[in-house]
Amino acid sequence: MNLEKGGTCGKCGICLTVCPVFKVLKEEQASPRARIQLIKAFTDNKLTSSPLLKELVSKCLMCGNCGAICPSGVDHESQFMEMRSRLSKQQGERLEIKGLVYLLAREQRLRLAAGVARLGQEILPDSFQRTHDLGNIPIRKYPRLNRKPFRKTVPEINPPKGKPRGTVLYFTGCATNHLYSETGEATLHLLTSMGYTVIIPQKQTCCSIPMLLHGGEAQAQQNIQQNIDCLHQQDVEAIIVDCPTCGAALKNKFPAMMRKYDREDGPAMEVSAKVVDLMSFVYERLDQLDRKKTATKLTGQKPVTYHTPCHLKNNFTSAARVLETIPEIEYHPAADSTACCGGGGTFFYEYPEVSAKMGRSKIENARKTGAKIWLTDCPVCRLNLSGQLDDGDTITMMHPAMYLAKLLDV
Amino acid sequence: MLSENIKNQLVAVVGKDRFVDEIEILFCYSYDSFLEESLPEVVLFPQTTEEVSAILKIASAEAIPVTARGAGTSVCGAPIPVKNGIVLCFSKMNKIIEINTRDRYAIVQPGVINGDLQRALTPFGFFFPPDPGSMEFSTLGGNVALNAGGPRCLKYGVTVDYVLGMQVVLASGKIIRFGSRNIKDVSGYKLSALFCGSEGTLGMVTEIILRVIPAPETTQTLLVTFDDLDNTAQAVSDIIGSGILPVSMELMDKMTLNAIEDSVPLGLPREAEGSLLIEVDGIKEACDRERERIVAKVQKHGAVSVQQAQSSEDRDRLWAARRAAYGVFAKIAPDILSEDVTVPVSRVPQMIKKINAITSHYKLKSGVLAHAGDGNMHPLICADRNNSEEWERVEKAFREIFAAAAELNGTLSGEHGIGLAKAPFMPLIMDDDTQDFMKVIKEAVDPGQILNPGKFV
Repeated sequence: MNLEKGGTCGKCGICLTVCPVFKVLKEEQASPRARIQLIKAFTDNKLTSSPLLKELVSKCLMCGNCGAICPSGVDHESQFMEMRSRLSKQQGERLEIKGLVYLLAREQRLRLAAGVARLGQEILPDSFQRTHDLGNIPIRKYPRLNRKPFRKTVPEINPPKGKPRGTVLYFTGCATNHLYSETGEATLHLLTSMGYTVIIPQKQTCCSIPMLLHGGEAQAQQNIQQNIDCLHQQDVEAIIVDCPTCGAALKNKFPAMMRKYDREDGPAMEVSAKVVDLMSFVYERLDQLDRKKTATKLTGQKPVTYHTPCHLKNNFTSAARVLETIPEIEYHPAADSTACCGGGGTFFYEYPEVSAKMGRSKIENARKTGAKIWLTDCPVCRLNLSGQLDDGDTITMMHPAMYLAKLLDV
Repeated sequence: MLSENIKNQLVAVVGKDRFVDEIEILFCYSYDSFLEESLPEVVLFPQTTEEVSAILKIASAEAIPVTARGAGTSVCGAPIPVKNGIVLCFSKMNKIIEINTRDRYAIVQPGVINGDLQRALTPFGFFFPPDPGSMEFSTLGGNVALNAGGPRCLKYGVTVDYVLGMQVVLASGKIIRFGSRNIKDVSGYKLSALFCGSEGTLGMVTEIILRVIPAPETTQTLLVTFDDLDNTAQAVSDIIGSGILPVSMELMDKMTLNAIEDSVPLGLPREAEGSLLIEVDGIKEACDRERERIVAKVQKHGAVSVQQAQSSEDRDRLWAARRAAYGVFAKIAPDILSEDVTVPVSRVPQMIKKINAITSHYKLKSGVLAHAGDGNMHPLICADRNNSEEWERVEKAFREIFAAAAELNGTLSGEHGIGLAKAPFMPLIMDDDTQDFMKVIKEAVDPGQILNPGKFV
């Protein structure tokens, strides 16, 4: 796709109402409308590539809210991604972001780096961890990396517990693999308990979204191809994602990228059609949960609250419906449960002040619900929000799968 | 070009954080929702009246043009800095200073978003009636500068009817205050009516006292369809003419309905030639009676279907469709021109016929929507500005539409303002002496012609 395509912006300004960055900064240059106009000015040769242009286009959470509300059908996401990629090539990236793209491009590099980083976490002096921040989050509040990558700890094929109902593929994403193995374990437990054979293709690798956002379009091709190859299987009912961003990539970006690489998009389309987020899959099959046990387990449970990740809301459906539907769950919705948390991939690291403002307001509202358990599907939202909780907060964050799986305990 | 010395003076007023002169950022203040673009030389984000005053003193001394901007959602080009200079962007001067429902007023800074004021009033059971299509993103300063209207202005009146008082910084930097917290106030000239709608050509509004009113007990919403556009228009003029006063009465033609339905599928009737979105509000019993009278009228004019919104979600859905109308037209062609000629309501059927005759004569893709109950028409034309032959037809069509409105005792603009879009057409509705009178006022208030120069006066 080229920058000239993808809808005509009528400059109406509706996108100003939903852009989390604009809401904080109140500056036109921080709005989706401005980014689209800047891209247009760039392609019309009215503006040339510059570090500031790169910053203006990249100071964006890529949450997709603008595209979802645009009455003119502007494809903001593709235009932003394309432009970020171009500017990233021309203007370069910060060293650490470049490093991230390098690591994500090969699974073994990432595994090695995660191992080294874990070692680093263990040997970093406490005083340093207490006093230093990474982005807007104190270093000591980053989660410990998994001792072993999640996918190395489980078999590729996991048989169902109880009555077999079908077969699904599980795409774990990098976060579950290296950071939150408990999400992976819970997902597996939940799906096998519901009666599914769960295949976790060992060849799967980074979904490539972080690379596409930071100029790694060429490096992304091999990842995308490799993922399509291992996910393109005939006899599976669904391809389950626990991370909404990976899900958005598999569902919406892969076919478009294949076309862009001038490759056959058929297999990508077939993969896309089967991709579903874990909680939607569960919602459609609530009768397959062992509700009798759930009901007793849930009695006397603490209330929970929930944060809807932008990529879930804009590509799938909020998991709030699961919490609302299971009558035994005491769900206390927070005032702004669908507002962006400010995480946005690496946004919280690159623009900590803007991001922190969004996070603070989310945390305030979560506290007001009185819930001690705060659920969210997206690992970056979880990392970003839990990292900003105060030491005095007794709120625990987890993936909804963990909450449901704990209650099942078959 | 502003000298470094002047820039330093401006930085001294607002600080580095609220001063911008990088070309990439200036570009973001070169446009609004209209078609034109023009770059400012600096953008400043004032936060106090004193800062605005200090800026205007510098601008006056150095003869620098100053153009006010809120959210940049004007559809007539009012905040486009055609003579460059300074853009004063009020988006960060956005505090609600006071809400006093006992005395029925609210005091706001100009950068407050209309919708944010509405949300602040809701818990008190009050609202602020002007509801431009952009209410969720446009600023009250902008609403005041353009004297904005909206669907429910049929019953409640437009922005100027709700401005009780203002604080204004004049071109000289002098700060003046007029009006008061009182609904009745005849002490001196009604200056709020002069500044409201002046499009930033007379002064910078830095504080506004707005009248707010109690929210109605109930609201009922109807969607009526017709198989004939003329019948639709006749129904409007008959309902209003017979003394019924709905809150709003929105007309959409077939093209508009289908453009919306293509974009946001809501199950709108695609085959209808005309439709009316009608709302009544007040005490429930009164609403019921009003609705019955309206239903009888539309049926007399051959309504094909009458649907009532059954829930507030239903109602929101219908209004979301109506509000999306401007944006969805942008899907049809690269450029969209929306005008807002207004005629006395009894002339609505004639005006719609004229608009359609003109646009079909010039073979243009166009649709009509209208706040029909107050005669405020929105002919929308989709075209490509790069196609000069087509664009010439567009310009001819609009000139004829304006002339047709003038002939029917109408006016150029009901709510969008004049800006760049309609400045050349002022003579159609205003004689030389009257235009000269406006110039006398402008010269008295802004002798150096620094405030929003290059616009209608």
